[in-house]
Amino acid sequence: MAALDAARPRTRGVPLAWRNLVANKRRLLRSSAGIAFAALLMMVQLGFEQGFFDASLSAVRVLDGDLFVQSAYKYRFGTRDPFDHGELDKVHTVAGIASAEPLYADWQDFFWTSPLDGKPYLVRVFAFNPDRPSVFTLPDIVGQQSLLESDDTVLVDRRARAFLDMDGSAKETDLNGQRVQIAGSFELGPDFMSDGTVVMSDRLFAKLLPGNRDSAANLPIEAIVIKLAPGESVPTVQNALRAALPNTSWVATKAELVDFERQFQEKLSSAGPIFWLGAIVGFVVGMLISYQVIYTDLSDQLSQYATLKAIGYKTSYLVRSVLGQAALSALAGYVPAWLLCIAAYRVIGAFALLPLHMTLRLTALTLGLTLGMCLLAAILAVRRVISADPAEIF
Amino acid sequence: MTLAGLSAPPRLAWRILTHEKGRALLATAGVFIAILLVFIELGFFVAVPQGGMLVYDHLRFDLLLCSKDYAFQAEPWQFPRARLTEAAKIAGVAQATPLFFAGAKWQEPRGGYRLDAFVIGFDPAARPYAVADIERQQAALARPATMLVDDATRSIFGPLNPGTEVLLNNFKVTIGGDYTLGTGFLGMGVALVDEANFFRLFAPRPADMVNLGLISLAPGTDPAKAAAALAKALPDDVQIFTRETLKQHEDKYWTTRTSVGLIFGSGLIISFIVGIMVLYQTLATQITRHLPEFATLKAIGYSHSYLAAIVVIEAAMIVLVAFVPAAAAAWAIYAQLRAATLLPVALTPARLAAVLVITLIMSAASAFMSLSNLRRADPADVF
Repeated sequence: MAALDAARPRTRGVPLAWRNLVANKRRLLRSSAGIAFAALLMMVQLGFEQGFFDASLSAVRVLDGDLFVQSAYKYRFGTRDPFDHGELDKVHTVAGIASAEPLYADWQDFFWTSPLDGKPYLVRVFAFNPDRPSVFTLPDIVGQQSLLESDDTVLVDRRARAFLDMDGSAKETDLNGQRVQIAGSFELGPDFMSDGTVVMSDRLFAKLLPGNRDSAANLPIEAIVIKLAPGESVPTVQNALRAALPNTSWVATKAELVDFERQFQEKLSSAGPIFWLGAIVGFVVGMLISYQVIYTDLSDQLSQYATLKAIGYKTSYLVRSVLGQAALSALAGYVPAWLLCIAAYRVIGAFALLPLHMTLRLTALTLGLTLGMCLLAAILAVRRVISADPAEIF
Repeated sequence: MTLAGLSAPPRLAWRILTHEKGRALLATAGVFIAILLVFIELGFFVAVPQGGMLVYDHLRFDLLLCSKDYAFQAEPWQFPRARLTEAAKIAGVAQATPLFFAGAKWQEPRGGYRLDAFVIGFDPAARPYAVADIERQQAALARPATMLVDDATRSIFGPLNPGTEVLLNNFKVTIGGDYTLGTGFLGMGVALVDEANFFRLFAPRPADMVNLGLISLAPGTDPAKAAAALAKALPDDVQIFTRETLKQHEDKYWTTRTSVGLIFGSGLIISFIVGIMVLYQTLATQITRHLPEFATLKAIGYSHSYLAAIVVIEAAMIVLVAFVPAAAAAWAIYAQLRAATLLPVALTPARLAAVLVITLIMSAASAFMSLSNLRRADPADVF
């Protein structure tokens, strides 16, 4: 027994899991391909889920402010529920504010004549005073803000859906029947309600909005974008704003605004469950594939495992080796799937105009799921090794 | 080969399949899930355009008159009401009735969110809706400041019981009753009002512009010919769809203008490949494990194509066995999806046939791939 104990540390150095994995190259290729496609299925489905949320949150995320005021009756950011300039005056009375800029927005009343087919299409419009600090973080909007000072210029979203023809080739078109000059473009992308976005000055917005108000000072405000003076604390100013404004207004930090929009999407859209369903199917299929691989492998090498048992290796060592092999085959499938998925995101994202990105979160989530499905399959299959009885085999 | 031998490959394939029951079950389970996913992705792929057609499917019309700028149902644009009067004079046209669309803010009187509701105005006497609940409640529609609501309106809109008062664009409106149709892609909540109520709600909207015109033809009139006659007679600020061309237009809108086609199309392709992978995995393993037996068959004179036939038949058997429970499970999941997403997902014979064809292609592809493993069955190597 002592001799055996002495012998074990040396043989323990043999990477049994690795050797088993690469022993049969054909089989390795086959099983990795199976696992890879199961992993790819999970990645694509979860990528869609994430892309869907990213698309619907993108407009809120690019707002450049520390605090925001909007109507308390809004159930989501992307719907009209404006208030008048009285609230803006109240905001200006609060201490600690560096700038408070009104943002005008509309989702239902602006029709963009596509230079492509001359037909009008509904677009999302954001407007602000171009002489004041920017309300968006997008460098292309900040940098080209001065172009909006002429009375008929707009910036357009070059990631808008193709039929709107906002890619920059057209220099002018009609918006609500009036000629506008396309002065530049930025990158935002469509969401599931708007196909494209136009950014303009508050003056032009006042001129083009149906029910013409002529002057920006009479325009109903959709949101107030507030930046704090250096050294001011967000909660303090937020409380001061709440005290200064009537309870028909909602004062939110950027995180709260993004979260509000996310909650609306989670509650009222069916996209989440649809894509999770696809991911679950990928998981189950992957588990079945790897169970089959591991089970076959164990059956083929049962006598070897029994031999190892007979010469004194503990079952726990063999189980560890089987689990190790499963983890390695998970990785062997995961890596090519991950690379393939990046290509798939590129292609699908470009055509569907969906923000598909292999984020760290998505990488970790799908790697966890892939490892999980292979290990779960190994645990189910390993009972065969545990019950391998040397006496029966020989 | 004798005639009796011809029936042997299916029998042999079946024996190989059932020899190790656990393994066969596992393979079938894998293929079952892949087929199920094909069903689900295909279901969505088709259901989304169908959701867009839902309201049209419950309207009585032979021809749809709409603006030349019509994009899709929820973005129809407008055209002068006079076009309907002109259309009614054309031979073969029995009736031309308008539909008016508008968005309204819906709020419970005690406060809370101002939600977006889609409001449709129509003339109840023209009976445009082929929905029993709506026809039954004509009296309610005629009452001032009264509406009917679709019972698929989301729960966030509050209770929809008859008699409930809500604010629509800050006007007090009473829910006269509800009806079962589905909101399609018009929005989260849909309400119906008669024309008089519609223009009271949306004043000062001019009554001489309409969103859609529903044209019914006299019995025996050919819709395509009538559509051509209308197109010729009317100015080019309008266009005319027959039911068929309308469906083509809406289908095209949803599959090409939105990301629906790509999202579910790519899901469909990946589930197809996953199915091939699972099946190939099974077949290749089985061939490898039975290599000595296959080599023996070869040695005693059976041809390679005979052995290949066994593999192909085995693949077909697995998918056919897996197809039946997958179709049953898809039927149950479709019912769940209908309830959860309010999309008209249904298991039609056409869809069953389509998935069956897809799965047979899946089995053929995987069998073809695994034949290279069979080629290694060389009697000289094995023994």
